[in-house]
Amino acid sequence: MPIALLKFPYDLLGEVLKLCDPFELYFLSKCSKRAQKTIKLGGKMNWKIRYWGREQIIICRDDVKYYIFDPTDKPEDYFKMGSAKGDKSMKIPKEEAVDMFFYLLDTFGICVVNSLEVQSGNLYNFLQITKVLAERNMEIEKFYIGETFDPKYVINFMPLIDQMNITKELHCRNSFPPNFDYQFDKYPNSIRISDSPWFGINQLLNCPCTRIELSKSELSNQELNLFFQEWKKAGTFPNLRYLQVSSKNIDNQSAIWDMVPPITRRENPRIRFSAWLGEDDYIFMRDAVKVYKDDGTEAWLDVDLGGVPSLEFLVWDPERDMFEGEDMDPSDDEEEFEDEEFEDEESDEEESDDEEPDEDN
Amino acid sequence: MSSTEQGTSSAAPAEPTTAPESAAAPEVPESFYYVHGKDKVVHKVSAGALQHSALIHGMISNLGYTEEQAKANPFPFENIDGDILQMVVDWCNQHKGKPTPPEDTNLPKQKEKLFDLVLAVNYLEIKELLTYCCKQVAMMVKGKSPEEIREIWMIPTDAEDEAAEKEAKKRAGKEAAGETAAAAGDAK
Repeated sequence: MPIALLKFPYDLLGEVLKLCDPFELYFLSKCSKRAQKTIKLGGKMNWKIRYWGREQIIICRDDVKYYIFDPTDKPEDYFKMGSAKGDKSMKIPKEEAVDMFFYLLDTFGICVVNSLEVQSGNLYNFLQITKVLAERNMEIEKFYIGETFDPKYVINFMPLIDQMNITKELHCRNSFPPNFDYQFDKYPNSIRISDSPWFGINQLLNCPCTRIELSKSELSNQELNLFFQEWKKAGTFPNLRYLQVSSKNIDNQSAIWDMVPPITRRENPRIRFSAWLGEDDYIFMRDAVKVYKDDGTEAWLDVDLGGVPSLEFLVWDPERDMFEGEDMDPSDDEEEFEDEEFEDEESDEEESDDEEPDEDN
Repeated sequence: MSSTEQGTSSAAPAEPTTAPESAAAPEVPESFYYVHGKDKVVHKVSAGALQHSALIHGMISNLGYTEEQAKANPFPFENIDGDILQMVVDWCNQHKGKPTPPEDTNLPKQKEKLFDLVLAVNYLEIKELLTYCCKQVAMMVKGKSPEEIREIWMIPTDAEDEAAEKEAKKRAGKEAAGETAAAAGDAK
């Protein structure tokens, strides 16, 4: 028995539309222009959208279900539905992916792009999307450039990053051309750059991020030491929680924070802790050395010279970070964790130097 | 005015039975109110059942009607068809004093009445029943194509919308012209 949905009052219509999934609403929007307009009038959906490099569009509903608009070249498959692991998918014409992205954005009144990722795929399409989102100043939570992204496009692409409103994370997994240089004007909450020789000490000193990860860096002991001298001063780097640098220039020839690398805790009990950096994002550190800011803020530093030399630095947050008591026997491959209170371990460390085993002997 | 009594208890407050002195205070007799729809058929409903409707609950709070006053002053809902009001009253009686389970088997099933039922329930502010009704409406298009959705939800095409808009404008123009002519006639 049919029911005249568009004759419902808007608040009631909104109640019904909230119970429909993105595919049903997409089909409804295709019934007529009025039906399309009605979807937005029925109330805000609070959905987010993702765009992946191979033209895949994903709507993330607040119940964490994913609705995937999956492009295909096969006309016989257009608008065929499927589902896997609780997520639903629908095939869409590949050449319409960009139009579809903006159609969904406008039809559903979506205000937040959950993530934009370019791997390879159609870079022209990706650039089109990026430019329009920058013009609209649309919030983009996470922006990924994949490792297969061709370095020759980077020079033209990077300036767009400063025009976009990236709020949470910028993750560049790509390689950059030799002698590439770029200076960020603004930063999201977190940056992760897999090929970062161009991200020098001046950028690091001016970086207000919460999380900084620089791989293939060229930062040296002296430069990192300079950074920590700045960090130590009260009031500097108020956001910084985690810094990771891997650099071939980290060595054992000079000190970082008055310690010559490797910088690691050698005495027992070994310690390990986990730090929550947001959403499902945890990092684990072990055997780091405790350091302090001038205002008393605690942090942990670990510098490892094995393989690719790397440095990890975590500013301690007692409300989010957690120690795990670890009794590690170097001859035992299996790690056993005990429920000891860290405070006990810490006091052992500070008060019982005579208990430290001398591993060098 | 015809009258049916849909309440589950008698109209008058029950006579308090003689209770042993040690027992708790006697129960307050349940009060009843009367409602009618477009068909003027009066339904007797307990205050407990009417609590589901935020609108009616607001109307009867602190009213302090006696049985006679309630009977003499039924609440009129002229915008609700009698059979729809009957469905709503039945549902309220069945769910008196208890929350609706997630899979409620006592809910109205007449899909042909769903549109009117949704509007009535929305007007009477019966939140749980409204949620159920909206679910029913949404479920109608699960797995359907755009063409099927158009039929089920009676979505006019763009051409039909445009024609209707033109027609409405034409009618409005005629009405305005008629009003102007009438005003001119009055002036003469």
